[in-house]
Amino acid sequence: MTEKIGHLLHELSVLPFSESAAFSLTNYTFWLLVGIALMIVFFVVASRKASLVPSGIGNLAEAAVDFVRNGIVVDVMGPEGKKYFPFIGTIFFFVLFNNLLGNIPPALPGTGTVGTTFTWAIIVFIVYNGIGIKKVGLGRYIKSFIPSGTPGWLAPLIFLLEIISHLLRPFTLGIRLFANMYAGHIMLGVFAIFAALAIEHFTPVGAIVLPLSFLMQIILRLFELAVAVLQAYIFTILTAVYISGALHAGEH
Amino acid sequence: MELIIPTTVEMAVNVVAFIVLFIFMAKFAFPPITKMLDERANKIRESLEKAEDTRVEAERLLEEYKVQMAEARAEATQVIEQGRKVAESMKVEILAKAREEAEAEKTKAIEAIKAEKSAAVGEIQKQVADLSVAVAGKIIGSSLSRTDHEALIDKYLTEVGSLHEN
Repeated sequence: MTEKIGHLLHELSVLPFSESAAFSLTNYTFWLLVGIALMIVFFVVASRKASLVPSGIGNLAEAAVDFVRNGIVVDVMGPEGKKYFPFIGTIFFFVLFNNLLGNIPPALPGTGTVGTTFTWAIIVFIVYNGIGIKKVGLGRYIKSFIPSGTPGWLAPLIFLLEIISHLLRPFTLGIRLFANMYAGHIMLGVFAIFAALAIEHFTPVGAIVLPLSFLMQIILRLFELAVAVLQAYIFTILTAVYISGALHAGEH
Repeated sequence: MELIIPTTVEMAVNVVAFIVLFIFMAKFAFPPITKMLDERANKIRESLEKAEDTRVEAERLLEEYKVQMAEARAEATQVIEQGRKVAESMKVEILAKAREEAEAEKTKAIEAIKAEKSAAVGEIQKQVADLSVAVAGKIIGSSLSRTDHEALIDKYLTEVGSLHEN
């Protein structure tokens, strides 16, 4: 059991294909590239099929794009947020495709490693702060960390807290997505181990555990599909919220 | 712990992935789709507006036709009413005229009859007078004077006249 769990954890950890090479792809980056390739193929086909009366894959892509543009971007930022849609949309579809790909064995989710999630969270951090600074200027942007009306003696403390809260954002953003993807696969692996053990040591207890773990596999697969979409949505909507906050930095 | 320390390789791959994907999505994937979405939204909005305009126009026309119909109906009723009035007055007029004419005709006829009668009576009186004179002359052999004759005639005539009047 312990050995099997150890094996599972090893399988789910970041493994370079070559230990010796200075720059080697890892198991996650391999599937990440597969996910990106699928995403590009999907959109090449979908954008070719764009027509006034949509059908098939074009319809799916349009529904998804419309969901992100109106359901997330316009909803959070208002109509003027539309110009940030390409960035936010790229993030949504990148996360979604990789999350979903991880649900097809033997693929791993490209988002199941901090290397991915943290990098993208840092990109979000740089972009939203960049947007804020570009909008109101560096001085006003930094000043906006202290809400107007704050008593003078409290200002340094508030400022410090704001800085910390901003700096924590890429961590929370990255860790949340990574942990969800990683934990989902651990759960799937654990019930797979249960099933395997029940078959290996076939006992009366095993006879009960086997169908239950099998059932759990099915339930967790469905659950993971929901999590894949939900986490893509959360990552994206937080990005939109951060950008929106930066855009309105000078207003309070 | 190494679980949450990102590796340089993965981070580098992801930075490249982001740049490539962002350029691809922003330049090639999203524009045709968002353009199509906007176009469709516009088209639908236009169609709806057009439909609304058409509906309003149709309602306006219907209202107009209703008014026209009512007007036409009122006019027709008026024309019929007027016709009836004219006919009525004409009838009264014609009847009155007919009555008048008939009356005139009748009066004329009565006048004529009266004239005829008086003429006839006059003629008879004259003949009777002459006859009487002749007869009387024969009987008394022209012994009567002119004055006597006339007195006799008048007396007779008065008698005949009163007879006739009765």
